[in-house]
Amino acid sequence: MDGHIYGYNLPISEKTKSVPWEEKVRIIEEVKSDFRFKEYIFGCLNCGVCTASCPSNRFFDYSPREIVQRFLEEDVEVLYDMMHEYIWACSQCFTCWIRCPFVNNPGGLVAIMREVAVRNAFEATKDLLKPYGRVLLKVMTTGNQLSADMLQPDFFPDWGPKMADNMENLRAKRMAIPFDVGKSVKTAWEVSLETAIEMYTIWRETGIFEMLEKLDPNLYNVIMDIVEENEERYEEMYEEE
Amino acid sequence: MGLKPKKLKEVFIMAHGHHKEGSILMYPEKPPFPLKEYHAHYDHIFEMMEELEAKGEILIHRITEEHQPVHVYTRTGRIKVIPTNKLWHHKSCGQCGNIPGYPASVFWFMNKFGLDYLNEPHQTSCTAWNYHGSGTSNPVALAAVWLRNMHQAWKTGYYPLIHCGTSFGSYKETREQLIMNKELRDAVKPILKKLGRLTEDGRIVIPQEVVHYSEWVHAMRYKIKELYEKEGKAKGIDVSNVRVAIHNACHTYKMIADDYPYDPEVFNGQRPAASTAVMQALGAQVVDYSTWYDCCGFGFRHILTEREFTRSFAIQRKLKVIYEEVKADVIITHDTGCTTTFEKNQWIGKAHGMFYPVAVMSDVMFAALACGAHPFKVVQLYWNCSAYEPLLEKMGITNWRELKKEWEDTVKYIAELEKAGKYDELMEFFKTYDLYEPYSRTSTGMPKASATAAMPLFKS
Repeated sequence: MDGHIYGYNLPISEKTKSVPWEEKVRIIEEVKSDFRFKEYIFGCLNCGVCTASCPSNRFFDYSPREIVQRFLEEDVEVLYDMMHEYIWACSQCFTCWIRCPFVNNPGGLVAIMREVAVRNAFEATKDLLKPYGRVLLKVMTTGNQLSADMLQPDFFPDWGPKMADNMENLRAKRMAIPFDVGKSVKTAWEVSLETAIEMYTIWRETGIFEMLEKLDPNLYNVIMDIVEENEERYEEMYEEE
Repeated sequence: MGLKPKKLKEVFIMAHGHHKEGSILMYPEKPPFPLKEYHAHYDHIFEMMEELEAKGEILIHRITEEHQPVHVYTRTGRIKVIPTNKLWHHKSCGQCGNIPGYPASVFWFMNKFGLDYLNEPHQTSCTAWNYHGSGTSNPVALAAVWLRNMHQAWKTGYYPLIHCGTSFGSYKETREQLIMNKELRDAVKPILKKLGRLTEDGRIVIPQEVVHYSEWVHAMRYKIKELYEKEGKAKGIDVSNVRVAIHNACHTYKMIADDYPYDPEVFNGQRPAASTAVMQALGAQVVDYSTWYDCCGFGFRHILTEREFTRSFAIQRKLKVIYEEVKADVIITHDTGCTTTFEKNQWIGKAHGMFYPVAVMSDVMFAALACGAHPFKVVQLYWNCSAYEPLLEKMGITNWRELKKEWEDTVKYIAELEKAGKYDELMEFFKTYDLYEPYSRTSTGMPKASATAAMPLFKS
């Protein structure tokens, strides 16, 4: 049957239909096997308080109540379908979490589902996160997610004419901040090289680089070039000492 | 009156019905305001932390007298200990990158109060913005990043103060996960060992309290008030007529909701107290509005790649309401994303006849202005895309045009010196520049290199 009697009103996508049942079960089991799952879902009155206060629900076809209900009903087909695009509407504000009388955390469930979608290289995830590549490049290589030079007026015309003024003489403006809180233009602050090297070890040991490779092989290659270059610089520094 | 600074031993200890001398879990003798207890079980993690420490699994980085602790209440009535001195500043990439006047205002107050702190480059961000935006991480990585940063703070002898709301929320959640789940501790421990980030006897370092800068501002609000009355008012600044709408950040009070300040003086303990309480202390007019509970629309991924959602939500659910319902002069925030969302998404509203101009800034930026900080050199308002000028006028900072010109001339002068390669002159100039630190103070001397350059700062 396409769609459902209540709630999830989207027809099950062709993408989901074409996936073997066992694979869909495997993916949903991967979500449920996360140690956080049991801490994020306890029961559901179907009261809808989560959805009523959800910001994403106002502008997207998205409902945190649906997420919780589908897990409780073990509706593999719908849950798998949600993992293509549906879950990416969530704002991760956790209003659902603080308001739920059962202390369910639908936003937390979405976080697990997103992580599993990235790890399993869902096509929709790759497409959705393409414009997010600049942030991934920055955070994976420097440990900062944002920097002053990322706010290019061309990327943010909707932010108005003051944005363009801000970017004039940017480097001098950063240097003129009378505290060392952000003198760097390329990073939010200068992260020491040895700290970045420690962070690369964390990414390696926890499989984050592998996630990246599956998500965007080109971006992964660029990131690894920078990582290896920094590791070489660090080794040279260490040898000099 | 809120709680005055007290020594820990003077606080009546009543941890879930039993008394334990020296415990980090503390409650007042009577509930400070009407309490909802339905998920106060969170507080139990403090007892579990003590148990894990007794077993030799973790080391609790304790808040001691040298941190000049101030006590506040949380939503469950627990006494949360806020260190106010000897702090390790765990900076925010969003704030330092996009709202530099935000952390600059924090440091300005620290210097004004003569407090001891460390602002060093041996830290990464929490990386949680990325996780909430892209899902490209996992709990073990997030825990390792957090514990690496916390170990660095502990190693220096300074106590971590978290600038970013998302870092604060993520760290609170990560701590709960670590305490409650042996499998997470077992997964992260070998990584920390490899990094040299365990104690000598192999324990994980976990801070007694995860502390957000807005909690520090909350704890320091009476000192801030004193400074306002002494220095701000002397400059002709008066905030008593300023209408202030508070926007609390989701990741501070909705993530691990039981670990954020509430106070009987702020809506009788039924709403988060930080930010509101400091505005009340300064004598500003805090105005209530119907959508106070809504988020800003930031969405982590949405602000960058689905901006139509962010701007629609920000305009329709917050800016319009605040402008029409309560006619606020300023929206006061206490996090990075909310500040950016509100101040950057006003101009575009003109396209749909939905232009609701209102100034936007964080609690500490407003407080710094009230206390006489330079609106451009310190509070860095030139970055702000919202109309802050009417607010400055209303606060009595009527010379803002001259102050802006002073700032612009400084920027031009620095640009000219750098263009000419006159680094020595630049350094000489900075020596006379108010409150300037030429490099970060570090625990291990100057950084030899950074993640983006061989030499930090000017020559990079």
